[in-house]
Amino acid sequence: MIRYQGGSLEAFQDIYAELASSVRRYLSHLAGGSEIADDLLQETFLQMHRSRAAYNPAYAVRPWVFGLARNVFLMNRRAARRWAQVHESREDLPESPVLPEADSLGSRDEIRRGIASLATDQAEALLLHHEWGFSFDEIAGILGISAAAARARASRGMADLRAALTGLQRARA
Amino acid sequence: MMDRTPRPPEALMRAIAQDLRPVKPAPRPLRLALEAAPWALLLSSLVLLAVGIRGDSGILGPLLTWGASAAQFALAIVLVWIGAHEGTPAGRLPKQAVYSTAAAALLVVVAITVSTLSISPAGSALRVPGGLPVPPWAMDLTCGIGSTVAGGILVLLFSWIFRNSLAIRPSVAGALYGAGAGIAINAGWRIACPVTPLRHALGAHGTAIVATMLLGALIGRLLQTRGRRPN
Repeated sequence: MIRYQGGSLEAFQDIYAELASSVRRYLSHLAGGSEIADDLLQETFLQMHRSRAAYNPAYAVRPWVFGLARNVFLMNRRAARRWAQVHESREDLPESPVLPEADSLGSRDEIRRGIASLATDQAEALLLHHEWGFSFDEIAGILGISAAAARARASRGMADLRAALTGLQRARA
Repeated sequence: MMDRTPRPPEALMRAIAQDLRPVKPAPRPLRLALEAAPWALLLSSLVLLAVGIRGDSGILGPLLTWGASAAQFALAIVLVWIGAHEGTPAGRLPKQAVYSTAAAALLVVVAITVSTLSISPAGSALRVPGGLPVPPWAMDLTCGIGSTVAGGILVLLFSWIFRNSLAIRPSVAGALYGAGAGIAINAGWRIACPVTPLRHALGAHGTAIVATMLLGALIGRLLQTRGRRPN
């Protein structure tokens, strides 16, 4: 990021190569669809470029870009008034990640549906921690909550997901 | 083997390549707040130097005259610091902490105003050079417009300090440093202003704080819009 702030195009390409896939999956989770996620991904990196002077090396790059991505999603949602559509389209969840911790409890599709059924804030904290590996302090900085609240949301989300998947397994048995 | 490394789309690369001038990294939130503090102190002291200390400062005592203003000033700088965090993608503070500090800062201003009134209900008269007392409406106007202008100048200075630091939530960050500017100016102004009734203190001085908060939000939004324009 420091090379990028110095004016290196290659440094931008490196950052894109490193982060684009995970940021896209995060945006896809937030937006509930992959079509809009591609647009939001480009907007996130454009926003990162415009705000590159605002980055301070004291912060890790990944949570900084995820925080920007979240803000881009929220701005877009507000501008387009797509909130209702976003929730309606959650049924198919094309690219929702599958958590390794829940892998043994159900098929990929069941886990995706399980995550989609969680409260939005729980699902977000759960994925940020278990899927993208952020610490609870980093999640707190991205979401504007305390680290304890981030931990509580993620663990409640995991407990609810486990309960939903175990219930499904029992019903199947 | 196919290279699966994600590559930026052409249009994005073109937009990036158009403006690759080197930029200086923004300071951390604490550093921003510390850069803002001397300007706030300078501007809030100017009115005090121009008008002088209120006539009833002896009745109020040093704690309610200087101590209360010092506490108010410190809270103002805390608001600026929180505003800087609010504009940082990975550095946001918990929402509850942000809103409760903002509410606490406004409550402290009201509490200081009420305490001042209860200890010195009559205040002291301000006289123009000819010896005539200044009518209340003129005091309202002077304090309302004067502290709004002083606060507005401070908001502009803060906006200059924050110009490259608002990556997200610019309106909220601007409102926070704007409120900080208004409260910092009020910290100095209240030591000079001899009028204690709540109508004046909350009406004229309070309106100035609200005005600087709104101005900060507006400038914060403009700063980000300016950053979004293609170069």
